[in-house]
Amino acid sequence: MELIALVKLALDTGQLRVSGDKLDIENTPLKISDIDRNAVEAAVQIKEKVGGRVRAISVLKYGPVQKRVQEAEGLIREVLAMGADEAFLVADNALVNTDQLVTAKVIAAVIRKLGNFDLILAGEASIDGYTGQVGPRVAAELGIPVVTYARELRVDGNKLTIKRDLEEAVQTVEVTTPALVTVTREINVPRIPPLLQIRMAMKKPINKLSLADLGISLGSPMEVKGVSLVQVRRKGVIIKEGSVDDKVNKLIEALIQEGIITRG
Amino acid sequence: MVNILIVGSQGDYGLVGLAQRVGDAVVHYLVVGGDATGLERYGVSKAFIVQGVVDEQSLANAVLELARANNYALIISPINKFYRTAMPMVAQSLGAPLIMDVTDLKPSGDTFEVSFNGIGSRAQVTAGVKQPAILMAPPARFKPTEKPTSMSKETLQVKSVGQVKVVSTEEKARGGVRIEDAELIVSVGRGFKKKEDLQLAFDLAKVLGAEIGCSRPIAADLKWLSEDHWVGLSGHKVRPKLYMAIGISGQPQHLAGMMESRVVVVINNDPNAPFFKNCDYGVVEDLYKFVPALTNKLRELLKK
Ligand SMILES: Cc1cc2nc3c(=O)[nH]c(=O)nc-3n(C[C@H](O)[C@H](O)[C@H](O)COP(=O)(O)OP(=O)(O)OC[C@H]3O[C@@H](n4cnc5c(N)ncnc54)[C@H](O)[C@@H]3O)c2cc1C
Repeated sequence: MELIALVKLALDTGQLRVSGDKLDIENTPLKISDIDRNAVEAAVQIKEKVGGRVRAISVLKYGPVQKRVQEAEGLIREVLAMGADEAFLVADNALVNTDQLVTAKVIAAVIRKLGNFDLILAGEASIDGYTGQVGPRVAAELGIPVVTYARELRVDGNKLTIKRDLEEAVQTVEVTTPALVTVTREINVPRIPPLLQIRMAMKKPINKLSLADLGISLGSPMEVKGVSLVQVRRKGVIIKEGSVDDKVNKLIEALIQEGIITRG
Repeated sequence: MVNILIVGSQGDYGLVGLAQRVGDAVVHYLVVGGDATGLERYGVSKAFIVQGVVDEQSLANAVLELARANNYALIISPINKFYRTAMPMVAQSLGAPLIMDVTDLKPSGDTFEVSFNGIGSRAQVTAGVKQPAILMAPPARFKPTEKPTSMSKETLQVKSVGQVKVVSTEEKARGGVRIEDAELIVSVGRGFKKKEDLQLAFDLAKVLGAEIGCSRPIAADLKWLSEDHWVGLSGHKVRPKLYMAIGISGQPQHLAGMMESRVVVVINNDPNAPFFKNCDYGVVEDLYKFVPALTNKLRELLKK
């Protein structure tokens, strides 16, 4: 089976850098968007079962591109170590500050360049944008069906049986390939590749592409003007000394002072 | 004057309030579930009523057709997994941006200035967007003003695409909680070893008169609690007076849902748990020892 995994190199929201009240995007580290690891894992598991190939695609969205490329390659190595066979990294200054319309067009352009495919897997949403729109957008761009929020996925020839985790129900659906499926965090536990695998992954190709290589030029219909971090000042009183009862008393005193509880 | 389309169930009419921020606009409403009664009160001039059950792809096609016929500057929908799937397809086909979790909207020339929660809900982002644009937001965030008008109604037969075949649907259990509205929340995480142990938190919540919240794994993975308890980026956003997190590590995706709490208490036996950097009061202790002791003491104090 020809499998494609979409992997976002997202802002690490656990390590956001700030300058003043503005988010300092250029200095915030990237990480593989967590749920995209689940997508890679799902793809690799299918490959292990039915054979085939897994190719990963990343579109670098954060600058400075020059500096980020190396960081991006390091992250993509992890995906290759998990079992992807080859990766495609689109890095181009023109992609910084563009929206998801552009991301989806670029991904679709890479996929068209790769030729045939059966199944595209992506995470339900990225940890930074958390809009979950790129999966369905790519499907629309390629004119293939999309199934979102998969928490179980079974492959039978060209038929996929999927359990979708919706807010109020679990829906079981069937679709034939080619298709795009977005997965939830609960679908599997992404493997942590052993050192040997990581070393072996050094030999796997990471193909770098620019928009010119893809023969496209794009304008974004959206322009970000300002990003201000929601910062909350917390008191940070840590209660760690004394017996359990001492700690209970300290917390209760604090709750009384805060006006949360009043003595009965 | 621009045309705006709201896509949602009748109960999502709060979104008309967002549309009204444009000023003079013609507002149409594609009603998915409901008969449009009462929408004319808020100035909706035309309602398209979808008959029967539709899937995301089929709805996307129907919206696209309307959009092409009526040249909408904005299409607005609520945020749930159904619309999160359908609307991006509409956006891509229209070559339009889609902005999620919109908090404000201002016209500026022939573009719009849109504010929204972004970067894992940790930031307020402002962007300029061209028309057409798709905006998604929780309807309860906006209060439409009354401007009664005459409204025409049209039933819309949505053609089913049928590429994705639904084999079965299994309803999930619901807890009947509206955690978003809770004043006091006792929230549980994977620090609890067994489902039965949650009783410790239930007892504490009862004494405090608090609702129960939880981290994603408790609802999504372990399914110990129904999803209406789930707090965080992919769950519910809460803003109680007290948020007491017990056995929750404090990953950014959890924090994203409770940043607006007034007083945050964290109970965790790992002094290095990230949550301690984001709390007002942090107790380093084994929850199995601390929580029963706290409950007993509060019970005495509050005479319950
Ligand atoms: C895109 C995305 C969206 C997400 N959305 C959400 C979301 O909406 N909500 C959410 O919660 N998570 C969400 N997550 C998951 C999130 O990243 C964390 O994995 C999750 O919050 C961890 O849950 P936890 O804190 O309960 O478990 P853990 O991280 O396993 O933490 C358990 C904690 O319990 C403590 N503990 C263990 N034993 C004891 C004891 N005896 N006494 C006291 N403390 C103890 C441990 O020290 C640890 O800190 C999302 C992730 C992604 C990638």
